[in-house]
Amino acid sequence: MSSHPEPDDWSARVRDSLSGYTEALLRAVAAKLIKPRTNQPADDLVEKSVAALANPPVIDRRVKDLPPAARKLLALIGLSRQPRWKVGHLITLLASLGHAEGFAPVQAALEAGLLFPELNPLAPPLEEFADWLGQSGTLAAVAFAHPAVATRARGEDLGLPDLAGGGLEPPARQSDGLEWPLRLAAVWQQVHAGPVRLTQANTLFKRDQTRLQGDEVLNAPPADLPVVVPDPGALSLFWAAAAGLLGETDGELRANPFPVAWDAGLLNVLTQLFAALPLVEAWDPLAGYAPSEPGLSPFPSAGLLALLLLAGGGREPADRPRSQGPPAPPARPWVDPGAVAGWLWEHHPSWAGALPPAANTDRGRAWVEAFLFGVAYPLRLVEAAHADTSWVVRLSDLGRHLLAAGPEPVAPPVFPQTLLVQPNAEVLAYRQGLTPGLIGTLSRFARWKGIGPACTLELNPEQTYRGLEAGLTYPMILQTLARHGTRPVPPSVADLLQGWANKRERITVYASAVLVEFPTPADLDEAVARGVVSVRLTDRIGMTANGKEPGLSQLRLIGNRDYESKPQRCVTVGDDGVTLTVDAAQADLLLEAEIARYADPLPGDAPGGVRRFRIGPQSLRRAADLGLALSDIDVWFQDRTGAPLSPAGRLFLLGRQLPPPTAGRRLVVQFPTPEITDGVMQWPETRMLVAERLGPTAVVVEEDALEAFRRVMAEVGLVLS
Amino acid sequence: MTVQARLSAKLHRRVCLVLTEDAVLAEELLARKKLSQEVAGRLTDRVLLIRPGRIDAVLDELRKMGHTPQVVGK
Repeated sequence: MSSHPEPDDWSARVRDSLSGYTEALLRAVAAKLIKPRTNQPADDLVEKSVAALANPPVIDRRVKDLPPAARKLLALIGLSRQPRWKVGHLITLLASLGHAEGFAPVQAALEAGLLFPELNPLAPPLEEFADWLGQSGTLAAVAFAHPAVATRARGEDLGLPDLAGGGLEPPARQSDGLEWPLRLAAVWQQVHAGPVRLTQANTLFKRDQTRLQGDEVLNAPPADLPVVVPDPGALSLFWAAAAGLLGETDGELRANPFPVAWDAGLLNVLTQLFAALPLVEAWDPLAGYAPSEPGLSPFPSAGLLALLLLAGGGREPADRPRSQGPPAPPARPWVDPGAVAGWLWEHHPSWAGALPPAANTDRGRAWVEAFLFGVAYPLRLVEAAHADTSWVVRLSDLGRHLLAAGPEPVAPPVFPQTLLVQPNAEVLAYRQGLTPGLIGTLSRFARWKGIGPACTLELNPEQTYRGLEAGLTYPMILQTLARHGTRPVPPSVADLLQGWANKRERITVYASAVLVEFPTPADLDEAVARGVVSVRLTDRIGMTANGKEPGLSQLRLIGNRDYESKPQRCVTVGDDGVTLTVDAAQADLLLEAEIARYADPLPGDAPGGVRRFRIGPQSLRRAADLGLALSDIDVWFQDRTGAPLSPAGRLFLLGRQLPPPTAGRRLVVQFPTPEITDGVMQWPETRMLVAERLGPTAVVVEEDALEAFRRVMAEVGLVLS
Repeated sequence: MTVQARLSAKLHRRVCLVLTEDAVLAEELLARKKLSQEVAGRLTDRVLLIRPGRIDAVLDELRKMGHTPQVVGK
């Protein structure tokens, strides 16, 4: 079982979920999904269940066996293009469609093996689905359907009314679809420059709210319809996170690399953004930024229903007999947003209650208009038209393709030359030629400065640097500007970019390099000649250009040290107290930098590759000049040699600080044994006459006390000669 | 064809270091108090060893100084 399936590997996710069931629950689900005839091992049941989800005839039969509410549930998931849904939203959607059975349809789909719970990997095996709801909470528990299943279930009739108005055929307006990709790119760029920290409740801090609300680019009016949604910055942020442009790590939203799908054309990106919309919970078309913890936002369910209502009766049913021939071109009726609001008002269980009081007067029409014209229209899902005194709406080609089984729309034409690089390092980007791929590339190295009919970007050192750090090179940046430019890049701008790129070359930071230390400089020369390493750091240490581990086939490893591990004892102090011998096998890299503070290498003194250093008055004075106190030096010697600085070293270091030594003649009395000397030092009669003890058997006696000392010693039978 | 003898070598893994274009630039970095606190040692006049786990602090400080360091292996 893979513990971390790729985000898009839905089969792996299914496998993980099934592996989290108890064997009894697994057998019960497999009995309905694959109907095994023999008693098979649990692992086989998991694999065969996963395989069954890739078998369209089997899926069709199993979906058909489900009760109508569960079939509609899978259809809703399929139409949303979003495989993951909170159970609370699924129950709300079904209740809106007239199925007030609560959890029962979800349970039926789970038991059939067509819907799966997202399980906590640390939780015990799941005995029954009610336990999962207990662990995660009924509303917040997340279920998912394999896209292969959800796709097959899309044709189910949802029983939605046809809200089309009659009569008029006003000219349709359609967005270019770039409005949200541009804003999401702009917010990606801001998060790339500085991650957004989330509170413990997963909400924004006030300063980030203010920053998003004050940002000129994110809050610029849309280029087409004059419908401005509240807090577009917050919507962009959470939408970008839902679409995979941002990822959450340790409570922070950080920029991910642009998904490869952004290079696959506008319609693919718009489909992805549409699929990500149900995951946006913290925003509302009327209230703007509106974190809904711990409740359930009505936005994901009401938004999907509003779009599905535009499809109305125009959707092609799944069980339409083929004998009837190809479907007729679908009608494209215009719908009054008020009719959509009216339906939601009467059918959605929580939407009307969540509206602000002012919106009750028109039964939520303002909410629907803000969503359809402010979110769905710029996303190219709907077309708009002005009829009489109000705007009407209908699904676009893309909207019909996604929500009403319409044919795949034709991709809009592409005009590659769309940029104008100006001598002041600003770039004018005409929208007609922009594509999500180009938006993604530009976002990496140029700062979005304005979003409108013609967008503006700014080339600056910081953004160029971020682009280079993200893997671009100066030639790649220049090539992008040249390939998409209507005129050549001004030489002054090319020089600026070159200068910024060169500045980056001045300092290189290696976060986790592997350094290769050789016994002698000649060995490093040989390693460079063989191509084992390419960068010389010292006369004996080198590394590869990217700091990674070199090929080991040409090396015989004599040591392997982790820079982050604790320093080890690797130096021996000689009997002379000044010669330091390095244990090459144990020495780490820090020793190389540290030891030079205290000692000088002994030149030409390396028998068998052993490296030796010598401390002296000058070398230790150098350490003192660096601000190192005797206690600091002692700590280093303790760590590296197992003992504090040697007495000889202390002599070098402290000699100048102490009173000067004195020279003089003294009268020394020598005793035959230490025991006798100890007695002399202990007995008060003799102790008072001794000036100083010099060693185990010698004391100093002042000349004028000698006679008295001689007499006292005679009393105990010792005669001084 | 002769087989080349293997070279004796010791590997130092997970090393954080700053490589500057020249020694003057390294001196400039060391003169910055907040940065010098994070330097564990100077391997050569152009190579500064960074204390383990302090790479982010070093990068922040370099950027505050107006440098745009090339980051390898992060």
